[in-house]
Parts: sequence; structure tokens; C-alpha cells
Amino acid sequence: MTPDWILDVFAAIMLVVAAVSAARLVAARPWQRGAVVTDTDISHLLMGIAMAGMLAPSLSTLPNGVWVAVFAVLTAWFGYRVVRDYQASGARALAVGHCAPHLVHSAAMVYMFAAIAAPAAGGGMSGMSGMGGTSGMSTLHVPTLAFLFALVLIGYTIWDLDQLSGLQHGLAAAVAGAASPALVGATAGPLVTEAVGEPGADGGLAAGSSAGPDGTRQSGTASGGRSGLITVLDSPGTVVGCRIAMGVTMALMLVLML
Amino acid sequence: MTDVAVAGNRTAWRGKLGTEPVAARPSLDARRALQLVLAAIWLLDGVLQYQGFMFTNGFNQMLAGTADGNPAVIAKPITWDATLIDHHMVLLNAIFATIQLLLGLGIAFRPTVRVALAASVLWALGVWWFGEGLGGVLSGAASPLNGAPGAVIIYALLAVLLWPADREVPAPFTAARAVGAPVARALWAVLWLSLAYFALTPDNRAPAGVSGMIAGMESGEPVWLQDLQKAGASLVGNQGLAASIVLAVALVLIAVGVYLPARIAKGTLVLAIVVAAFIWVFAQAFGGILASGATDVNSGPLLALLALAYWPLRTVPAAPQAVPALSAEPAESASTEEA
Repeated sequence: MTPDWILDVFAAIMLVVAAVSAARLVAARPWQRGAVVTDTDISHLLMGIAMAGMLAPSLSTLPNGVWVAVFAVLTAWFGYRVVRDYQASGARALAVGHCAPHLVHSAAMVYMFAAIAAPAAGGGMSGMSGMGGTSGMSTLHVPTLAFLFALVLIGYTIWDLDQLSGLQHGLAAAVAGAASPALVGATAGPLVTEAVGEPGADGGLAAGSSAGPDGTRQSGTASGGRSGLITVLDSPGTVVGCRIAMGVTMALMLVLML
Repeated sequence: MTDVAVAGNRTAWRGKLGTEPVAARPSLDARRALQLVLAAIWLLDGVLQYQGFMFTNGFNQMLAGTADGNPAVIAKPITWDATLIDHHMVLLNAIFATIQLLLGLGIAFRPTVRVALAASVLWALGVWWFGEGLGGVLSGAASPLNGAPGAVIIYALLAVLLWPADREVPAPFTAARAVGAPVARALWAVLWLSLAYFALTPDNRAPAGVSGMIAGMESGEPVWLQDLQKAGASLVGNQGLAASIVLAVALVLIAVGVYLPARIAKGTLVLAIVVAAFIWVFAQAFGGILASGATDVNSGPLLALLALAYWPLRTVPAAPQAVPALSAEPAESASTEEA
């Protein structure tokens, strides 16, 4: 069987993802008027906690049925968002939009919790304990679906990594090539963000909070005064990095339970 | 992006749902797309390597078994390697899995694509020898149906052909960009002609050779896949010789197809993809992944990916770039698109 310590490592990664997402939620200051809280952070926080519990039974929190309900709501929400994206951008939204991966992540969570909620699995998260134990590995009903989910998750993970590194490359080149801070602001805005708000006069975002790709909050000119930690939390790499870690771990779990 | 604006006790959804413009994206040409598929396959392999079976003696015995029938110079290192792994099973397999995981992530991450591709070639060569016994090429066990000449060597071939350099610009097809069209065509021909040869070896052309190989993959598979394989095996029946000849003819056609005019070449490439899909589904049962215990996806998807790398391109003028170096690759005077 897969050694417990390997599963514990992945569980720890999931806890880090959950912690980062929680920090982002707190940093958004939801108690203040006009605060921006992204659904992807909420999604990552819940998934991080749930997956850590699946990987390491000692970290389990809620019964399977509750998690199924939670992720069913998230699936419905992201499904709605994907439909709206599709209506706005066509089929391209499924490939490059940020909601489609979250829809797949949420649906995969529903599947995993529902498919192991067999009578033999018992209540709560105990059904997953065999995953890391030595008494036998839990399996999922309809393993073909698990394989398909794993393939799609891996596909989105690779795509995310390529796009993230491509953006960083592009921005770095723009900075190096122009050697002008003004150009960074002018170029980085539309590149880094899928702006909800109206573009500013410089082509970037208008001042005030808005949201970037994959849950990245872009605070426009306001971000200049924020601490380095907040800047890191708000960076595209943080959010997409969380999603990449989650995609790899989720694919791993699905394959281990084939 | 979806935002929830929280004001006092009141929470409201904010943002123009479904109306966000799609952001500017880094460039993605045909070669980069193929690199990403290769990265995804490596990543899947890494995940597969973490399966429980790989931490048992079953994995070790599988490795040791690849020494059978090979010359001593090949077999002895395999046996030594299997013994070493037997003594440090958990640690070494965890390292193997992590390496493959990192190869996938490294190829997908643009700044590390060269390092990861180079490392993947070395890793693939090592696995080809120590993990696959050179794909059975020297032992007589090789067959295009069971993954000859070793699925992992095709990873190495793809890494070379998809290397982010341009020896030939504009290139007639993606695989020619890094090594030039003559070398790329020669590699293609050698691979597919070798498959045709293996299809006609005595074991594979035996009356029940093909059907037996298909039926042998049924164990542990989902019912629907078992039904598919039973149908495939019964279709071939005891006509192993005829099936092998038909397969060999198709493989030869594919091998020479890249030397033919683009329109005919496309036809043979489609044939290559169909043959690869047929082999992957019926003879390889999706690499045995659904039965658990598979270490990789086997050769079917890699052959199809390889065929896509040879798809004829048409040359188009390069568009001016507002932001330099969005691609991981050097700027070119001309770019190519799929014809």
C-alpha cells in the first residue's frame, strides 16, 4: 500500500493551501464595506480541509454526506458561472476561463465523497482510512469516472502551469525590455488580470479592489501601500499555485482509489 | 471573476457575471501544445507510480521479469537494479514517482522546459533499460500490441523532437523544427518499420498470438472494457497470421507516409492515430490503468502524439508582438500553424 508518510506529505500540502486561502480571505477584510471575497478562495479553503482529511484520517472533520452537500453547492455555483462564461465568451471559456477548472475540482470532490460512501466504508471519513493504512485501499465506484476526472484535472494543472509561467516570462521580458516602471503598470494590468472593473486610463485596472484571474485580487493603485505578505497573497502565482497543488493531489487521490 | 461584496451584515454578489473578457494569454504554438501533452502524460505517470502496488514486491518482480530473454549484458544490470529496489523499496519508488511528477511539472513550466526535457530523455533511457528490458526488443517479446519498442523510449524520442530549438525554419512539420526534416523523417520511419517487423515475429503471427494478447489484458478491468476486449479477441480469433499481416502493412504505410506529399501524408498520419487508438483500447486496455498497477499509459497515446508532431504545417508571416518573449521559445522570423 502507499505509505502513510507520502499521504501525510500531500495532506500537509493541502493544509498549506487551506491556510493560504484562509489568509487571503482574511486579508480581503470581509468585515469592511466594499471588501472583495473571491469564491475560489472559499473553494480552496474547503477543499484543502476536506482533502487533508481524506488523506490523513486524523485530520478528518465532517461526515462524507456533509462534504457531498458542500461541494454540490460549489459545483452548482461554478457550473452556473461556466454557463455564464460560455454565453459571454463561447467554448473558449471552457478552455481558458477560470471557472471551468474549479467546476471540475468541485465535481471531483462530490464524486470522491459520494463514491466511497458505501456501506462498507462506514460513517464519517473512516472510509478513506484504508487509503493510507495497511489494511487495504478504499476504492471508488465507477472507476472509469475517477480516471476521467484525473485526466481532466491533470490537463488543467498542466495548462495552469504553462499559462502562469508564460505570464511571468512575458512580464519579466516587458520589464527588462522597457526598463521603465510606467510600462510595467501599463502592460501588466491587462495581462495579469481578467478585470471585472473598468480598465483604468493606463490600460490597467482602475483604483480599488477588483479580481484578477483565478481569484487573484488586484487592488490597482491601492496595492502599492500594502505589505509584502499581502502582495504575495494577492499575486496570480499564489492562487494558481494553490490550484495546481490541488489538481495534482486530487488526481493522485483519484488514481490511488481506482 | 466572482466577487462577494460584504457590507455590514449585508452580503451581495458583485461583478458582471458571465461578462468577463478572456484575458490575454501567453502564446501557444503547435510545439508547445504537444509539449504540454507530453508533460501531462509524465505527470500521470508520476501519479500512477504512487499507487500502492508499486510499493510491494509485485513491482519489484515486474522489473526483474523484464530481464528474461535478454542477453546477459542487458539482463544482469536489470537484476542488480531489481535487487537494489527490493532492499529500498519505499524510498526508491517514492523517488521514482516524484521524479516523474517533477518531469511533468518541469516541462509545463516554461522556464524549466529545456532542463525537464533533457532530464526526461536521460530518465526514459534508464527506465527503458532497467524498467522495461529494452522493451523486449532483444528478447523476442516485443510486439506493437504490447508497447514495443518500449513505451518509455517514445517519451525520449518526443522530448528530442519537441526540443525548443529551430534548426529548420519554416519547418514542414513540428517534429522537424528541432532536428530537421530528414532526421525527423528517418526517426519516424525506423520506429514504424520496427513495429511492422515486430508484428511479424513468430510469436506474434501465431494463430492465437493476437487474440491471446488481447484476452490477456482483461483481468481486473471494468466490465465494459472486458466486453470490448472479448469482442476484439473473438473478432481476430485464430487468424493471428492474417491480423499480423494487415497490421504490418498498415504500419509500413504509416512509416513511408511522411515521405509522401502533404495530402497523402495526412492520410497516413490519421491512419497512425487510428492504429494507435485501436492498439491502446483493445490490446493495451488503456495501459491497464483501470485495473490498477499500471506504471504508465503504454505506447498508444504516445504514438498518437508522435503522429501529431508530424502533421504538415503551413507557413504564415509572424505577427508583431506587443509584449516580447511571451513564448518560452526564441523569437522567430516566421511561425507555423497547422495546415
